[in-house]
Amino acid sequence: MPSSRPLELEALTPRYMAWYRFTRNPTAIIGAAMVLSVILLAILAPLIVPYPEHVGAAVNFRARHAAPDLTYWLGTDKVGRDILTRVIFGFRVSLLLVVGVLAVAVPLGAALGLAAGYFGGWTERLITGLTNVMLAIPPLVMALAVGNVLEPNLVNAMIAITLLWWTWHARLVYRVSKSIAAEDFVEAARLAGASHWHILTREILPNCISVISVKTTLDAAFVILFGATLSFLGLGVKPPTPDLGSMVADGRQFLPEMWWGVLAPGFAIFYATLGFNLLGDGLRDMFDVEV
Amino acid sequence: MQENYLYTFAKRIAGFVGVLFVLSLMIFVLARVVPGDPARIALGPSASQEQVDAMRMEMGLDRPLLEQYVTYATNALQGDLGRSLISGRAVSTEIASLLPATLELVLVTVILMALLAIPLGVITARYRNTWIDNTGRLFSIVGVTMPSFLFAILLQLFAAYFLTDWPIIGRIDHSLAAPTGPTGLLLVDSLVHGRFDVFLDALQRILFPALALAMSGIGQITRITRSAMIENQRRDHVLTLQSFGVPDRVIVFRYLLKLSSIAPLTIMGLEFASLIGNAFVVELVFSWGGFASYGLNAILQKDLNAVMGVVLLSGLFFIVANIAIDIILLMLDPRLRLKEAR
Repeated sequence: MPSSRPLELEALTPRYMAWYRFTRNPTAIIGAAMVLSVILLAILAPLIVPYPEHVGAAVNFRARHAAPDLTYWLGTDKVGRDILTRVIFGFRVSLLLVVGVLAVAVPLGAALGLAAGYFGGWTERLITGLTNVMLAIPPLVMALAVGNVLEPNLVNAMIAITLLWWTWHARLVYRVSKSIAAEDFVEAARLAGASHWHILTREILPNCISVISVKTTLDAAFVILFGATLSFLGLGVKPPTPDLGSMVADGRQFLPEMWWGVLAPGFAIFYATLGFNLLGDGLRDMFDVEV
Repeated sequence: MQENYLYTFAKRIAGFVGVLFVLSLMIFVLARVVPGDPARIALGPSASQEQVDAMRMEMGLDRPLLEQYVTYATNALQGDLGRSLISGRAVSTEIASLLPATLELVLVTVILMALLAIPLGVITARYRNTWIDNTGRLFSIVGVTMPSFLFAILLQLFAAYFLTDWPIIGRIDHSLAAPTGPTGLLLVDSLVHGRFDVFLDALQRILFPALALAMSGIGQITRITRSAMIENQRRDHVLTLQSFGVPDRVIVFRYLLKLSSIAPLTIMGLEFASLIGNAFVVELVFSWGGFASYGLNAILQKDLNAVMGVVLLSGLFFIVANIAIDIILLMLDPRLRLKEAR
């Protein structure tokens, strides 16, 4: 126990220890705060942005390409819209993408990974074989191909990313569930006549939760990064919806003079991905798992 | 020992061929079932229905899907990836002319990764939990989380404001008559022809894109090298060497580094998939004009034949890189050889 102050013995539950490790980890706390701030900004966006009318297709040519100042804290874009406003709304699109992708990819990957690890045999061979194939495809190339062959928009970007993302969870959960399936308590449950369903959901899955949650947090960062890259390449949200990746792409035409048009949304993406990454790192230390 | 190598590789390559087969089937089916008629894309919106039908016959699109795939796969094995729907030229010719640019970029990237990440990993492990280690940690987190397009743009901005003479666009200054052949890699060809001006220009231009591309890999590999070094420091043979009074320098470079490069090399192989993906972005930002730019254009123009070629070749790229890394690992790690022999 790495502590200098005495602790009540009954307080040393695994959960308490984990929480203790988490709160003692400054980067984890910073990461949590960053993630929380992104989520709050996204939820409260309509209430807090300085120029709500600049979210859509508004034009404000008088202030076009204004440098950051007290009126426009992060400057304005090529039609004079406030970049701060659009960045805050851009977080909404990023988080929507994260939720949309992970809500499907994580359960799907986890279910397949569980099944592969527990049942073994041809189920295992089929699922691990499939994940191996998916690993050989550069994810961005595949997402670009799928996203564009279907119509490029947010939902299709989501579909394209989801199609690839489940494999990582499947691999991870497979590894954990395979080792847990060999444990005595699983054997005991089987001998006691428990059904496959019971063993999978009550004996094995709870042991995978910490790994899954760490991976999911880290993944949030990469989904944001990935979505931003797709829209930077022109395969994301349709204008005028504010989206961080396409804002960077738009601003790039006016470099190097109008640097704020690129740096503001660019660093907003970086802020969000960094936050999720630090938080995920902290959770990893907290649960003491390898992901 | 020689036979074991061969057996291992036969097994590996069989596995990779399987992967490539499924990949090609997947991308083929995807390209055929999606809305958007390749014949229509090739002829444009103004063509009549009869023309489109005739084109479909010519492209074999009226045959059963399985037959189409067999034809496609047979041709692909002979290096024929069909014709681009947009330009009408053979996809394989178009790709072949652009491949060296990307190959050169990727090679320089991998060299940069190894040159920067492994020493950084060794240093951060040596000075564990000091400010050096923390700085290294911050650096690698930034490398992993920063979008590669942002990093590429930051490098360009830096050059635009502080290194005003530094060329940041394209592979080569077009006023320099760059020598052609034998490899297509400008850095190599210029040296072969003794053109140091070309070599310097090309080197200057490739440095920033390669750095932007290497960033995320550097971040990961630094961390993995570091943890491998720390883990291996506690091994018995290392402790024995230390107790014999063998200097740290010798232990690190002669014993630890070899043992600790196994994990990062494995990761580097997996990293190749995202490296190829990021090349799409970096080539765009630096107007590189390689295989990835071609792929991006093909995708944006829905040039399905070219897209299939690009995806297949990306997969092949990944697989070849991983075979190469497997070979290096087998040479590095005698335990692997023993395991495979059993």
